[in-house]
Amino acid sequence: MRNPNPKLLEVIVAAALWCTAASGQVAYNDLLDPPDQNWLTYGRTYDSQRHSPLHQIDHGNVAGLAPAWIFAVPSGSRLETVPLVVDGVMYISEPNEVHAIDARTGRSIWRWSRESAPPQNVVIERGPNRGVAVLGDLVYVGTPDAHLVALDARTGAQVWQAKVAEVEDGYYSPAAPFAINGKILMGVAAGDYGLNGWLDAYDAKTGERIWRWESIPRPGEPGHESWAGDSWKTGGGGTWLSGSFDPQLNLLYWGIGNPAPDFDGDARLGDNLYTESVVALDADTGKLKWYFQFTPHDVHDWDSVEIPVLIDAPFDGKPRKLLLHADRNGFYYVLDRVTGEFLHGSPFIDKLNWATGLTAEGRPIRVPGVEPTIQGNLVCPSTSGATNWMSPAYNPATGWFYLAVKEGCGISYKAKQEFRPGGFGFMGTGYVESPADPWRMFVRALDPATGKMQWEYEQVGSRHYGAGLVSTAGGLIFAGDDQGFLTALDAATGKPLWHFNNGARISASPITYAVRGKQYVAVAAGSNVVAFALLQPNP
Amino acid sequence: MLVLNRQRRRIAVLSLAGLLCLSAGGVSTYGAENNPLGAGAEVVSRGRDLYNETCTVCHGVDGAVGDRAPALGAARSYVRRTDAELFDAVRNGIPGTGMPPTGLAEDDVWRIVAYVRSLRARAADLPTDGDRKNGAALFWGPAECGRCHMVHGRGGLLGPDLSDVAAKLSLRALREALTVPKPHPPKGYEPATITTNGGERISGVLKNRHNFSYQLLSEEGRLHMLSVAEVARVEIADRSLMPADYDRRLSALEFRDLLAYLTRLAR
Repeated sequence: MRNPNPKLLEVIVAAALWCTAASGQVAYNDLLDPPDQNWLTYGRTYDSQRHSPLHQIDHGNVAGLAPAWIFAVPSGSRLETVPLVVDGVMYISEPNEVHAIDARTGRSIWRWSRESAPPQNVVIERGPNRGVAVLGDLVYVGTPDAHLVALDARTGAQVWQAKVAEVEDGYYSPAAPFAINGKILMGVAAGDYGLNGWLDAYDAKTGERIWRWESIPRPGEPGHESWAGDSWKTGGGGTWLSGSFDPQLNLLYWGIGNPAPDFDGDARLGDNLYTESVVALDADTGKLKWYFQFTPHDVHDWDSVEIPVLIDAPFDGKPRKLLLHADRNGFYYVLDRVTGEFLHGSPFIDKLNWATGLTAEGRPIRVPGVEPTIQGNLVCPSTSGATNWMSPAYNPATGWFYLAVKEGCGISYKAKQEFRPGGFGFMGTGYVESPADPWRMFVRALDPATGKMQWEYEQVGSRHYGAGLVSTAGGLIFAGDDQGFLTALDAATGKPLWHFNNGARISASPITYAVRGKQYVAVAAGSNVVAFALLQPNP
Repeated sequence: MLVLNRQRRRIAVLSLAGLLCLSAGGVSTYGAENNPLGAGAEVVSRGRDLYNETCTVCHGVDGAVGDRAPALGAARSYVRRTDAELFDAVRNGIPGTGMPPTGLAEDDVWRIVAYVRSLRARAADLPTDGDRKNGAALFWGPAECGRCHMVHGRGGLLGPDLSDVAAKLSLRALREALTVPKPHPPKGYEPATITTNGGERISGVLKNRHNFSYQLLSEEGRLHMLSVAEVARVEIADRSLMPADYDRRLSALEFRDLLAYLTRLAR
């Protein structure tokens, strides 16, 4: 055997080290201040404003936007993935599957997939999967059997996996994981099965669990008194979406899901903390700093998981650190995110019959009798809510808050049900959409301080949820609908400027990114991910 | 723990029931997954009588909503769906609620189960009595159904094809389609008149519409595909073209015959 050339070896090692450093590395500093061309977290930035500084596509030229490529996920059905883009590489997910794609051409780089364990479990195919997180050289994804998996960003090789919950109990993890400094946050879907939720922080390098915050307080803990008897044991409180983060305050903001059984409040008298709340958690310890409950003792399955949007803006003449939240219950809320103080609340829908308003503390003033009954009762908004998992957006130029809105009512029923372990429904019956008040879908722009509507755009003919929103420095809001249309709206007026029929329901939120100076808009539609750019020859 | 206790109690009851039956020389159907009496017309009919005699203190007559208990046959969510689950509720009541044990004989409980299941079944599974030939004559004649609806390639275009309607709708939904006005026209069947920029007026039903285009089927049976830029005015009716007074428009016998025809429309 010939001796290797020491000089050559040195060059190879140096090249390998350089490659490692250069390929796909995402430092915590990048997450704090993402480069314009990238989309590095679920809400683009830790404040979840879903606003991109890219402005190549604007009012003047958006009419020339055309599909650049389509990536088909062969085993996909209705993708809800929010793609991430790191320096020209896109990462998308569906249950038990992650793809890395050349974000300029739509060509596959790698695919990772796994089987849920144990494969015979009845609930393994639980989806959807809402996306991945990136930090360092790793890509993170939650799974239908409630694991958090870390993959090498360059190859898709599985580096570690951590068990978030027992799949046999019925848990799964559909949310996009959330990366902060050295930690990955992961929650669980739990509420509709009478399973108690939590939020976990894992060591980003090893997968070791650092802390767990439980959304249903145990005996002796503050808030436990809000559950009658043993009802806390099957209380729900899932964490099935991502959250937001304020690095200065070192606080995580997370929306908590419904109490269980969803519709039968008699089985769990009390306010049922911390369901239907937003909680502020210390990022180092997971300790609760404050909470605000939107719907105390909810009986309508109005999960409060909607993504909190953080903005710094004047309120009543004083600069404040604000948290904006449009709840499934039909009210829009402004909170002080330092203290959790309630500053403002007002309905963002016309059809709201369950409360006449909010008290000075932000507690709903309920209309007696608007609750599920054995005969069925009209409730507006319906259980599907006035908005839902689709992310809102904030545009710093207009200073407005944008969201997907549903108008419509439901007929809600209740029945006695016994808890059955193993991930079986524990909803205490359910609801139907009211035939007299069918769904109508809108994109609405609100003044963040007052909640006053600035404009609305109806998605004519839509009767199901569609997509969340993305805002751009080009003065545009991109919105998708259940009919498959991706539409560009003028952020200032709501006027539609461009649309494309993707041919399949859009259920995820779009993103925008740039590669080599060219801006793209991408969205998951049906089983495809479609990327758009201004029309010019494809590379 | 609650669940374990319940399971133990159930096992105890099952064992006891089994012993009793053995000693009586019979075979208990208690705990059967599927209705041992089946879902034949006679079983359902007797179940209906038993239900109306026994259950309507709380539930409504013929499975409608009652004063103290929910509808058993409406379009709503149900906790108990299988034969076995329904049997358990009827036989033993539902602990913690106003639903008491009925104390009926096992076979009668199964008859009620068959009836409740029939309320949720497709119409074709339980075709109604009547003169179906006369029903067909009404459909194509005085009831004018065939003006808008097609059956096996014959009939009008504006309404849904009814060739397979009995396999798609429950008997209750079919009856309601004929007798209860819809609050809004269904998607794909909205009556509309479009005036084009050229001044042409086209009336028909909207097969689809969005912010950017309309797809309209005219009364003459022509499809018109129009972008919003080509359209001056759109008038969309808020009521369906479907009459919902067939129980009054027709005599009771005629209505029965029409239903007998419709409940047999399945491929």
